[in-house]
Amino acid sequence: MTMDYLEKYRDGRVNTAKTLWVMKPIYLILRLFNKTVVHRPVTILYPYEKLWMPDNYRGRPALAFNTCIGCGMCARMCPTTAIVLVECPDDEGKPVKRPQVNMGRCSFCGYCAEYCPTDAMTMSPIVELAEYTRADLIYGPRRLAYDHTTDGMKIDIEETLLSDYQAGNGERRINPAKTDRPVLDNAKCISCKKCFKSCPVQAITMEEHGKNAKGRPILWPSVDDQKCVSCYTCVDVCPKSALHMNEVL
Amino acid sequence: MMADDNTEQTKTAGQMPAMKPVVDVAAETAKMETDKMWVIMGPQHPFSHGLWTLKIKVDGEIVTDAEPIVGYLHRGWEKEAENRPYPKIIPMADRLCYAASMTYTHLYCMTVEKALGIDPPDKAKYIMIIADEINRLQSHLMWLAAVGTDLGNFTVFLWAMREREYWMDMNVRLCGARMTTNYPRIGGVRNDTPELFDRDIIRCTEHFEKAVWDIIGLIDDSSIYVSRMKNTGILTPEQCANLGITGPALRGTGVDFDLRRDDPYSNYDQIDFDVPVLKQGDSYARYMVRVEEMLQSCKIIKQAMAKVRALGKNAPYRLKVPSNVPAGRHFAKLEDPRGESMMYLISDGTDKPYRLKVRSPIFVNVSASRELCMGCRIADVPAIMAMIDMCLGETDR
Repeated sequence: MTMDYLEKYRDGRVNTAKTLWVMKPIYLILRLFNKTVVHRPVTILYPYEKLWMPDNYRGRPALAFNTCIGCGMCARMCPTTAIVLVECPDDEGKPVKRPQVNMGRCSFCGYCAEYCPTDAMTMSPIVELAEYTRADLIYGPRRLAYDHTTDGMKIDIEETLLSDYQAGNGERRINPAKTDRPVLDNAKCISCKKCFKSCPVQAITMEEHGKNAKGRPILWPSVDDQKCVSCYTCVDVCPKSALHMNEVL
Repeated sequence: MMADDNTEQTKTAGQMPAMKPVVDVAAETAKMETDKMWVIMGPQHPFSHGLWTLKIKVDGEIVTDAEPIVGYLHRGWEKEAENRPYPKIIPMADRLCYAASMTYTHLYCMTVEKALGIDPPDKAKYIMIIADEINRLQSHLMWLAAVGTDLGNFTVFLWAMREREYWMDMNVRLCGARMTTNYPRIGGVRNDTPELFDRDIIRCTEHFEKAVWDIIGLIDDSSIYVSRMKNTGILTPEQCANLGITGPALRGTGVDFDLRRDDPYSNYDQIDFDVPVLKQGDSYARYMVRVEEMLQSCKIIKQAMAKVRALGKNAPYRLKVPSNVPAGRHFAKLEDPRGESMMYLISDGTDKPYRLKVRSPIFVNVSASRELCMGCRIADVPAIMAMIDMCLGETDR
């Protein structure tokens, strides 16, 4: 390895007056002239020409309304709480929960797209977001639609499990957090059914486990492994913190 | 009456009045104490790149004292970090430094990885070396542009910013954003290197290795720059040690210390590079160290890219980590473009940190402004302070 610059300029400035005399500035100007004539300009005429954006560019979040399951993972992961879940009618008029993004708060970090279990949220390359009022900056679920989503815009978490990696197996699994499952602490459960009601994919069923002292049925949630998307909704709504997520590591 | 007066005047006009002694100017000025004056530069001043104030005490043209005032950009970063889970701090860490955002995110992830006791995969480490060096180049080019405007050459500004754009494009290719990248993750990186990224980065590096000579030629061949920077703002290694100065300012005084080589983190020990050291300790030495660092960064990027290629396409790059961090105290340090930055984490077993302390190199380096400015002229102050490479986002945090 060599240090090109320091070796050339070790004793300070190279005395160009001795080496090239007046020819150096002339040579430089000619070279620049040549460069500006031959090469394209660096700048562009902005409103008329636009920069090419690569697919993975993180502009405003875009939502595929019908792919979204309303689990709220985006709202949970959003570092600036720009995303809230709102109720809105779907195509058949049924009320469903979908994310609404406040672009005034969005920091374009891409967590919503990254952690979305169904890839409904992507980051679109739209960057022109100026509006006249703050209310205009709030993007409802329908306004978040973006028609030109490509595969390059989708980002998957390709993680290796820690146990796999330590055993020398470098297998990359796509979104292994999806295999996390909520686990119930039976002693804390009060059979309130909140997890059952709030589950966005109806993965939870309430199973009866005998009767309590007052003669009422004791209901404990049981999770369907096939349906669960590990969205933490049941963990969040549980009033007694009886559910916790069992992380697969 | 009038006639009498006239006659008296005519009488006295003939005699010479007693002459006062001629003033000895040199002796008088030596006796006279000129007012020393505090000149307040900033917070909105062309020389202060960001919101900070430099109070300088001037005796005529000579600076006799200087005092930096920082804190205008305080956002409560450290307190805010205590209120959010570990992954949500990563986008915040990007906002610590706008010129080299990924070094701070990398540092944060390194700290949490240490607390978790995990070692990220090799591919993630090499990708982070590339990302760090891209950010170092960006940061140094931003500094070079600032030096250009501080010393009155707008061409240097424009050319340096133009070259910086190519590195910004590399950031976009790698992680999809120009400045607030949000790329490192606890236990790896966000995504693998995209298609043709290796080709693009090598092209960009080779282009930059040629193009940088044009920019530094403008500075090195200009006696305005060189005479302004040479023999001003001199620091000695002892002063550096006492003030805790790190980074190019330290290496400009002849202390051969670089964390990348001396305490290697994330596989920097696998990479062959030189650490530029100069003995002069003046502004020009700091300038030269930074320029050489840019060229060394290009070499590091090339080697790291070859290592990423050698690891193959299917190598793991991201580990799944638990969301709760076991209780403990951990710190990590990293060679930032501006010096040595550290983070100190106290975790209490939950998914939020109990305390996260940031050691910013600029907050320490700016305390040397008194030693740097003493005895120089007012016109030298922008040139000397430009060599600190101020970044207020991390200083005030």
